[in-house]
Amino acid sequence: MSQGQRWKTRPLEFWAKAKELRADWQKSIEKQDKVVGQGNTGFADWSAAFPAITVIEDNPAGAMISHKNPPFARKSRLACEIRGWGREICGYHNNCWGGQFLGCQDDGTPFPYRRFVVPFPCVCDSHGKRGQQCRDFEAMPQWMADQCIYFGPRDARRDEPMLEHKTWCQLKVVNDIERIFGQPLDEEEYIRQLDTVSVVRAYAQEISVLMAQTIPTPLSVKDLYSVYTIGGLTKVNPDDTIAFWKLVRDEVKWRADNQIAAVGNERFRWIEAHPPSWHMLKYYRYLEKFGAVCLGSQYSHMMSGGLQRREDGTISGNWELEPKGTAPYPADTPLATREDIVRYSFGPDARYPYTFKIDEYLYPDKIVEFAGMMQADGALLGLWRCGVGCTMTRKEQAMRLRDAGYQVLLYEGSQPGDRTDLDEKQFFDRLDGWMESLGLERLED
Amino acid sequence: MDQFKQLVENRHAYAQSWKARTGGKVLGWYEPYFPEELAYAAGILPVRLLARHEPDDRSEKWMYAACYPARDILNQFLKGRYDYLDGMVTVEGCQWMYHAFESTLRSRPEFWNHYLFLPDYTDAPTSKTVLRSELQVFQEKLEAWTGRTVTDADLDWAIEVYNKNRLLLRQIYELRRAQEPVILGSEMMHLILADQVMDKAEMNEILERFLEELEQRTPHRDCIRLMLIGSETSDAALEEMAESLGANVVVDELDTGSSYFWNNVLPQKDRLMALALRYLGRPHNPIKDNNWRRRPQHIFELYEDFSADGVIIAKQIYCHLHGTDNYAVWKLLRERNIPYLFFERDTTLPEEETRLRLESFLTVVRQGATHVCGWHKTLA
Ligand code: SF4
Ligand code: SF4
Repeated sequence: MSQGQRWKTRPLEFWAKAKELRADWQKSIEKQDKVVGQGNTGFADWSAAFPAITVIEDNPAGAMISHKNPPFARKSRLACEIRGWGREICGYHNNCWGGQFLGCQDDGTPFPYRRFVVPFPCVCDSHGKRGQQCRDFEAMPQWMADQCIYFGPRDARRDEPMLEHKTWCQLKVVNDIERIFGQPLDEEEYIRQLDTVSVVRAYAQEISVLMAQTIPTPLSVKDLYSVYTIGGLTKVNPDDTIAFWKLVRDEVKWRADNQIAAVGNERFRWIEAHPPSWHMLKYYRYLEKFGAVCLGSQYSHMMSGGLQRREDGTISGNWELEPKGTAPYPADTPLATREDIVRYSFGPDARYPYTFKIDEYLYPDKIVEFAGMMQADGALLGLWRCGVGCTMTRKEQAMRLRDAGYQVLLYEGSQPGDRTDLDEKQFFDRLDGWMESLGLERLED
Repeated sequence: MDQFKQLVENRHAYAQSWKARTGGKVLGWYEPYFPEELAYAAGILPVRLLARHEPDDRSEKWMYAACYPARDILNQFLKGRYDYLDGMVTVEGCQWMYHAFESTLRSRPEFWNHYLFLPDYTDAPTSKTVLRSELQVFQEKLEAWTGRTVTDADLDWAIEVYNKNRLLLRQIYELRRAQEPVILGSEMMHLILADQVMDKAEMNEILERFLEELEQRTPHRDCIRLMLIGSETSDAALEEMAESLGANVVVDELDTGSSYFWNNVLPQKDRLMALALRYLGRPHNPIKDNNWRRRPQHIFELYEDFSADGVIIAKQIYCHLHGTDNYAVWKLLRERNIPYLFFERDTTLPEEETRLRLESFLTVVRQGATHVCGWHKTLA
């Protein structure tokens, strides 16, 4: 055991499988001969039911570019800015869309020009407007939808017209795609995708709860991030997706049962808000040297639909509890028509999905509840100059956490996908200072 | 100081005296899609929350990187400038404005408040049903708050007053099309801003008198005609600067400008549906112009109709919405060889820097402004 180590630890076994699935996916998109559209892959389950189209998304691409190729990210953003796109829009977008003008991606391969745009409903404005960046570039079919919002408990009367609206928008997308691209929607496949999401959500909930409840945590958020796109952004067939998430759940559960820690010297648990700085993830490992482990954010636990405390103090996924969330329709809901499938996909609460964002924007004090569920001691929160959705209410969250007795450190940067403003040296100095102020010494190098 | 500028300056005093006079409630609204008619029908004075910059030692605690209109409005609340308000309401729109609303509520939970959902996808056949339903919810909430039922007659009256107001504003605005207009850009902007914080019935009387007064006015000399677009503003500093340099802003496409009153409510039996259609069909700002790109075309039409010579695009720093829209707007202007000047500002205008840039822009524009420099240029 190394200095300060309190628990056993060992490498994650599911990691090998994750790498294999990711490599398969990479190969599949490289030999891609499908019609490529721009869309929110996480909520475009229907797209897998069209054999000859595919939906790809700028956000993960932009995050990846910022991580892998900062010079290209800079060049790409500049190509956007000189044409009018603002410095303050989400960094992911300018990292990605500059490729439209440059004609290539960060690895030099041709830019995958989009041929259609499907909706991006979201409470974040930058998120909602990101179909426009290819539609303004070149005329192409575009569809829209809304992220419907209202405050307070669920109101079935308000839900009704909102759900009609969402259903109309979604049906328009799939029906038009059939007409325009001349390929039928495979409804069985659509249902299968939805069922897969439900099964994976249940596994993801278990994983989140195990992370929250177990000291030491069997999984850090860094580990979770390395696999959490599998089945969503990283498209994998439904059976493999389910098998993979079962594998992860089983291993995390086994680790929790046997006190196998993600970080052997865990002695300070911290949370964050929204995505991390994808362009600089080394701060996770850096803090682990002090025994400080990150449990993630409301964002990183979105696969589980968010977490909520039951009355008896135990934790569950949001959808299990009223009145905050409303459970999705039961799995045996009859699906006789395409419209039934679409309605089923939305569930009865018109505000679904994006619970984590609604939690952050509409209920900034929810982060305190989240910190409590995660048994956290502190929080490290990024303040981003760009991409409104990433910074919204962050200051207030910090205030709420401090009031509740948590140790909070803030740092500033441009956006999780844009490293322009992040002063790395100063950031790490601050981390040292934070740890020192908490009486935590560096345990090993 | 012109009378409208004075009205804007004195807006807090005006609202307080209105309250004392009528015993009614004053409701502050954040977002340009707020259907004021509904509040007005309930006997409430709806006032637009306009940014006003003051040394800011408070908002930083709540916000990071927000645009200045949102930040300054929050700052005003935190400094107690809006203590006389009874409530506040926002509509689904820009997230920074929502942030100002949300943080104000957190710091001042005593305010009555409402968040009204208005679809960002304004064109779907189902959008109007959603908005109608949300208007119904809002109406019921207003009734519970004021203890007064909003009848069809109340709604008809409010719609009529507001339609008349928009018509009067439009009549005055149209006078700017003249080669030698009787009203300058700064005065018009002050007038529109004043309109947004006044009781519309009272404002209508002022506007009627003002229209008569305009008939007697000596027109201003023909000069370089500019169009102003971009993020909202709550003053006319830019228009005044253009005037000081021998130009005139003759048309705008601002949320706080022409877009505020451009279209009317077309009355129908279902009053709430009539309102829904008006707000879903107004000239859209970037957050609502997501689907069928109407905004660039609308800008172009205004530019042509008002015979402008060039366009100023003034974007608020951190305005992510105009930051996303500008690409399409710049593209259109370039394709049509329309000269434009783009710059960023906040709720205060950087004086010298802006003056210098504007001056050099006017030098460029002047060469193409044949109505000013003559149809037959002298060959050098
Ligand atoms: S929430 Fe953040 S990462 Fe997501 S689109 Fe908005 S600004 Fe970008
Ligand atoms: S539209 Fe722009 S200027 Fe207006 S509140 Fe939003 S970010 Fe600020």
